[in-house]
Order: sequence, then structure tokens, then C-alpha cells
Amino acid sequence: MESLGELERAVMDRLWAQGAALSAAELRDALADRGLALTTVHTVLSRLEGKGFVQHDDARPRRFAAVASREEHAAGLMHEVLGQAADRQAVLARFIGSATPGETEMLRALLADTP
Amino acid sequence: MLPLTAVLLGLLAFALAWPVPAVLARARWPRRDPVSALVLWQAIGLAGGLSMIGALLVHGLSPWGGSLPAAWWAWAQHWFTGELPQQPVRGDHWVAQTLAAVLALELLGVLVLSLVRTARTRARHRALLELIVDPVPGVDARVLESPVPAAFCIPGARPLLVLSSGMVAELAPAELAAVVAHERAHLGERHHLLLLPFVAWREALPVLPAADRTHDAVRDLVEMRADDVALRALADPAPRRTLARAIVAAAEGGAPRGALAVNGGVLTTRVTRLLDPPEPLPRWARPLAVGAAAALLLLPTALLLLPALV
Repeated sequence: MESLGELERAVMDRLWAQGAALSAAELRDALADRGLALTTVHTVLSRLEGKGFVQHDDARPRRFAAVASREEHAAGLMHEVLGQAADRQAVLARFIGSATPGETEMLRALLADTP
Repeated sequence: MLPLTAVLLGLLAFALAWPVPAVLARARWPRRDPVSALVLWQAIGLAGGLSMIGALLVHGLSPWGGSLPAAWWAWAQHWFTGELPQQPVRGDHWVAQTLAAVLALELLGVLVLSLVRTARTRARHRALLELIVDPVPGVDARVLESPVPAAFCIPGARPLLVLSSGMVAELAPAELAAVVAHERAHLGERHHLLLLPFVAWREALPVLPAADRTHDAVRDLVEMRADDVALRALADPAPRRTLARAIVAAAEGGAPRGALAVNGGVLTTRVTRLLDPPEPLPRWARPLAVGAAAALLLLPTALLLLPALV
């Protein structure tokens, strides 16, 4: 039995690869090797929709598409992490904060000076 | 008449709100032993809140009784019996009571709010990462596709350690191991909880002169502590130099930002103390810090619970 997390990733991978909207039945067929029931696909899709990764249109049957590409999500997350302000403690443990303009040269000099 | 207890608590609150944090934030010894300093900071944050609220409460309830527990009990009863104490209850007593309640609620509220908010942000980040990043077998960090070198972790019940592909490309394997050890130290020692009281202070009372500086001092100490823990975890012939190189490499890769210039100094501090480690504090320093922290917490507690000094 696959975990919901894995299924969510499989569905998103499919939607991203497709680059177009798919109905739940089409998704089930595209993921035929997993032998999913249509209700399972719907469950996964509504979870993904709740998390804001997927949206559907008003066609019949409803067709589902990714809200943003994988790259856009990655860029958005990085932006949040690097910008931090409000979420500083959420991702408290960023390895380093931003260096001030002159600081990197100083750090490099420090490194060179000590054997 | 203002009971002496309230005055003492007020003085303690003032000392812990400004001169004490100012001195500790500027002191140079904390970088020699971040743990001692972190213990002290926690005590300052907690005792500061306790004495500030306590001073207002003791003054506000002073007409009702000689000690806070007795006064509180009499005060609570008066709402049902309508009985006012023999001593007159003046306007300033009501004001002090109200301020104490507002302050206590605000501190608690901010704390709860920031807990909820960060939990939600973390859940969102985790959900996003679990979708867009495939777990790499054998590596307990996830690699996020991005040219900007970055490493961070999401604390929580299921902590997540994330490296950007830029970071992986930029650093040598030994340096990468140092970065991972550093982040793992944050997660293992739950450093995000140490920072929480100071986030609450800063958001609840931004007018407090030391709130910002205190928060930043604690954040920097937590970084130094993670460096120290990472050094011990590394099976590297020269872990100090490797970690320092990793910090410098990561700093060079990231875009410099003027806006965050204020906290830039900590990188220099970190690299300096890695390359040229300061003499560790003497053996008695840590017990002393713990003792001082305990005393700091006991003082307002005793003042609040013991019969009022009149």
C-alpha cells in the first residue's frame, strides 16, 4: 500500500509532465501501473487542491492542472527562505544569513591569513 | 501606599528590560561559551516578564491583602460578594491591574500566535518540499533545485533538512558534511524553542529598547552553539577550518543584501572563533551561569509569593 504522500507526488509528477489539465479518469489511466481506484485519485487530488498545488476548471468532467511548475514552487520557497523576515523562526536554521557587501572579502582574508 | 514588593519587582523589571540585556549583548565572553550565555538569556527573558507583570499585579492588588496569594483570593471573591477592602482602592490600582492583565495576555497571545503561525508555515514548507523534492536514498537531507547556495532545516516532529543544489555544487563533500552537522545540531538541540520567548518579547513590546538586540544576540549564540556541536560530530582532520570554509563559501555564493546588513557581523564572529578559537571559559563558569539563572528566576518568584514587604 503506497502512502498518500507518495501518491501525491506521483500525481503531481504526472500533471507537471503533462503540462495540461487532466481529468481524474485520465490521471487514473496515466498511473495505471499503480492500479488506483478512481476514488483514490479524487482523494489525492482534493488533498492537493487543499494544499494549493492543484486547481480544477468547471468543465465536465472536471479537469485538474498544476497551479505552478515545480521550478516555480522551488523558486518561491527559496525566495521565502532567503527573504525570511516574517518566517524567520519557521526556517530558523538557515546555515548563514546574508553577508554584508564588504564582509565576504573580509571573511576570505580571514581564511587566507590563518594557516 | 506602594508596597515595597512592587517597587522591587519594578526595579528588577527595569533592570532586565534594559541595562542587563544591553550589557550581556555587548559582552565578549558569550562567544567563549554560548551555552552559559543562552541559559542566562532564557532566565532574563522569563524573569523579566514575571517581574514586569508581577510589579503591576502586586501594586494593583495591594489594597486587598498583604501577600499576593491572599490578595488575589480576596480580590477574586470581591466580584461575588461585592465587598471592597478596608483600604481604599484608587484609580491607579485599577490601572495597574488592567495593565498587568493586558501585558500577560499580550505576551501569551503573541506566543501562541507565533506558535500557530510558524507551525502553519512549516507545514506548508514541508508539504511543498515533499512534493517537489524527491528523497535521496541514503542521504538524510533533501536537495532543492536552485542555483543559490542555501541550507536550512524545518524543525518540528518530523524535521527536514534541506540543501539547495547550488550549495551542493559550491561546496566540497567535507564542507557539505560540516553544513549538515551544523543544521543537525539546530534540530537536535531544538534551538528554535530557545528563540521563541524572544520572538514573543519583540512582537509584544517592540518599544522595549533591548528587544531587538536581545533577539539577535540569542540567534547569534544559537549559531555559535551549532558550530560547536557540529565540530564534535565531524570526523574531519581539521573540522574548524572545514566549517569556516563552508561558511565563507556559502556567504560568497549568496547574494549580498544591504537590508540585512545588521546581522552580517555574526559571520565574521563565527569564522573568527572557528579559526582562532578563544580560550574556553573556566570550568566553574557554566555552573555559575546556571546558578545565576536560577537566582534570577527565584528572585521575582519569591517576591511574588512571600508576604509583602511593607
